[in-house]
Amino acid sequence: MLTISTVASGRALEDFERQLRRTPPVTTAFVEYRFSHLLKKPLRTSGTFEYRGDGTLVRNVDAPYREVTEVAGDQVRIRRGDKPPRTLSLQRAPQLRVLLGSFRALLEGHLVPLQQDFEVTLEEDASRWTLTLKPRDAQLVKHLASIEVFGSGDRPGCLQALEPDGDGAFTLLGAQPAGTEAAQARLPARADLERTCRAPAKPGEPVGK
Amino acid sequence: MNRRGWLLLAAWIALLAGSVAWVQGHLKISADLRLFMPAPRTEGQRLLVQNIGESPASRLLLLAVEGDEAGRLAAISKRLAPALAQRAEFGFVANGGQAPPSIPDTLLPYRYLITDSFDARPLTEARLTSELEDRVADMASPAAGFLEEWLPRDPTLEILHLASRWQPRAEPHHIDAAWFSADGKRALLLVETRAAAFDPDGQGAALAALRDEFARARETSTARLTVSGTGYFSSVIRDRTQYEATWIGAADTLGMILLVWFAYRRPIFPLLGALPLATGALAGLAAVSALFDSVHGVTLAFGFTLIGVAQDYPMHLFSHLEPHESALHTARRVWPPLATGVASTCIAYLAFLVSGVVGLAQVACLTITGLLAAGLTTRYLLPRVVPQMKYDPAKSAVLARLNRRIERLPRPWFLFALIPIAAAAVFFLRHSDFWQNNLSRLTPVPPELLQKDLELRREMATPDLRYMLVASGESEDAVLANLESLDGELTGATQTRAIGSYEHAAQYLPSAELQRRRQAALPAPVPLRAMLARATADSPFEDGLFEPFVADVERARSLPPLTRADLRDTPLALRLGSALFARDGRWYGLISLYDVHDPGAMANLAAVHAGSVTFLDLKAASEQLVAAQRAHIIMCLEIAAVLLVIVIASALRKVSRVLRVLAPMILTTLVILAVLRACDVSLNLFHLVSLVLAAGLGLDYALFFEHAAAEPAEQQRTLHALLVCSATTLWVFALLGLSTVPILQAIGVTVSLGVISNFFLALLLTRERAPR
Repeated sequence: MLTISTVASGRALEDFERQLRRTPPVTTAFVEYRFSHLLKKPLRTSGTFEYRGDGTLVRNVDAPYREVTEVAGDQVRIRRGDKPPRTLSLQRAPQLRVLLGSFRALLEGHLVPLQQDFEVTLEEDASRWTLTLKPRDAQLVKHLASIEVFGSGDRPGCLQALEPDGDGAFTLLGAQPAGTEAAQARLPARADLERTCRAPAKPGEPVGK
Repeated sequence: MNRRGWLLLAAWIALLAGSVAWVQGHLKISADLRLFMPAPRTEGQRLLVQNIGESPASRLLLLAVEGDEAGRLAAISKRLAPALAQRAEFGFVANGGQAPPSIPDTLLPYRYLITDSFDARPLTEARLTSELEDRVADMASPAAGFLEEWLPRDPTLEILHLASRWQPRAEPHHIDAAWFSADGKRALLLVETRAAAFDPDGQGAALAALRDEFARARETSTARLTVSGTGYFSSVIRDRTQYEATWIGAADTLGMILLVWFAYRRPIFPLLGALPLATGALAGLAAVSALFDSVHGVTLAFGFTLIGVAQDYPMHLFSHLEPHESALHTARRVWPPLATGVASTCIAYLAFLVSGVVGLAQVACLTITGLLAAGLTTRYLLPRVVPQMKYDPAKSAVLARLNRRIERLPRPWFLFALIPIAAAAVFFLRHSDFWQNNLSRLTPVPPELLQKDLELRREMATPDLRYMLVASGESEDAVLANLESLDGELTGATQTRAIGSYEHAAQYLPSAELQRRRQAALPAPVPLRAMLARATADSPFEDGLFEPFVADVERARSLPPLTRADLRDTPLALRLGSALFARDGRWYGLISLYDVHDPGAMANLAAVHAGSVTFLDLKAASEQLVAAQRAHIIMCLEIAAVLLVIVIASALRKVSRVLRVLAPMILTTLVILAVLRACDVSLNLFHLVSLVLAAGLGLDYALFFEHAAAEPAEQQRTLHALLVCSATTLWVFALLGLSTVPILQAIGVTVSLGVISNFFLALLLTRERAPR
């Protein structure tokens, strides 16, 4: 059975978000592939997303380099390798703030507030579901066409962010099959990734605590 | 009064009405405080006088929107800010939602001449490699989508670097991309008015525009708007002064009419009594508007206070009217003491005409013309319109009894010794803060407004209002170079926490010399391409991706240095406008300081560069200026006093007479000063001017008592006249003393004290004993 809920019937979203809700701290491993017309080949990064009890969102990159990005309130702090940390105020980058806010909302399971910045659509098919976010802000639309989150049960499995020019990123959430690390050298084709993202294999146990 | 008298009265009133119309058409009231300042001596004073009320910091208005939930307040702030930016009354408007000023697209290649990124670490292959490594990581971050657009053109992210350098060092909190107070209850905005802070009219217009736009932006919310800032204060003070002056003026008029009516028992007398003063005021106004381009508001305040003496002139005539004597004859009788009073006061004010301070010359012009006109009309015009007296008010039985009782009072000659000694004791005990030097205290701001202003300034991190540095030079470019040369020391000062941060024009527009140096350090296209090729060899970036970057660097290498003219109509020009200016052929660049913890360090920095950098302590400079201005006025007053004594002496020709006439005003001056000081009042200019008025009143009282000599009937008439004069004057100024506006209060209290003291001293010391 396929149900489609849109913003108009916010009820379904409220029920659904209860299903995703978790209490911080939450830690989820990720592997991300970014495709860009500026790049010869996609960039692959892996690490963990962390959502702390104090509301801080942390993106730890372990490979191919070490980088820690902490988003606390409107302050972003980026430490890359042993270079001095950079700080950035999201007040000066409102679109980036909306984007990061959507990550946080997903990790935490607070979807209803997202409707302020996005047109939110939920499609459910048995235990599988797809959440589509389309930005409302005209400035953000120039940089972000949509975010699609594919998941099953109470776990988001993959996040696909598409830019208007066709560039985009695929973020696989949760521990990935062991072979992936070894397969790092040969990057998957975009079509394969899209398929994996849309139909995540039975999600392995995430590293949630 | 016969038909001719009525016709003359009608013609007089018509002439006054005509003059009102003429003066209204010609009088230009200026709010430029500079009219009232003596010539500045130090560089600091000069800059102060030139920039008073025009510095960027003083033109800022701080706005707070409160009284609703944060989301709605933020929405109001977002509607209000762009609406205000559209209005001609405001320069820049900020509410936290604005991007920092950025280089306009057409000038983008100039970023390589403006940025300081490559000063310490030039654009070499190593630098480029390191930058590109970072860009790869950026491309793998969530921010990638936002950077892609610029990356080929700006791989070192200079646009971002400049934007972050130009954004305010400290900012209020944000809610929904709008500034908020720390408690989240007030949305905050900052606007710069085009009008100078001390231009109450311009500020009034700006405030009206603010309220207007706020009413629209508020929509259905219950939110309130609170405004603060120097300009707002000047407008509030003006409104409050006008409001109180209006109701006090109305109460004054009513009281005067009743008093004069009661004194002379004829309803026409209050009207007749007002005519000489009205004539004097209009003649004075006409004279200043004819002789000067514009008249300062303070001139009018001082001038009208001083010609208040003329209100007494008709009373002297009225009290001396006798049923069987023509009014013209009476006028001839009272003329000698009246003329002595008018002439001596007018001659004394001549000292102000040559003071060299435009505002004071205007005061003198207004006062002299006013007093002469009032005196002459009392002598020549008023008697022709006064009706024949049937009732003789000065002959009443009550007054006769009072007169006899006064006659029996002992003459307290010991006051000649007691008052000076007591006054000296008070001055000795309260010698500190004798004078009020604080310029802001002249037009004091209600403390609750100051408190709110302080809070808002803390929240918004506005530049320091009191301290700033000013760099100067022969040309615009020389000033910019001068500012750049100070960067090392200023950065040092931020590291030692002497100051929080600083801002100056060269941060937006480097000097031509520095731009040329940066140009010379940029690599040429061929080596740059080679460097790029090696740096990107192992990177995932597409080959040839950075061609737009190479093109921009190449453009930057051949551009003529950026000038202020190139920046016209860009957001950067707004930043430069108020911080870089020319006066009298020399160029100045203001260095705004934030969080000044150690003003001494800034003073030292300026001392090291004496001649090209000035440390401005606006408070100290304005205090010096006020002190200098006061010294100037006191000198004028001293000359005036000498002139007055000479005129009195040559009119009375006898030492004992001269002493008896001068005693009340001299002793009264001491009494007033002692009482004010005993109450711990620091004296300001308005006290001084009021002292002069009090002295003028005392002189007139004494002249009339002296003129009455020892003749009982004449003494009784003089007593009547002076009772009416002092009662009416006291009524007017006592009401003024009740005002909550400190200026009005100072004038009211001082003159009231003077009237009481002068009246009794003239009665007891000047009046001769009737022969037994």
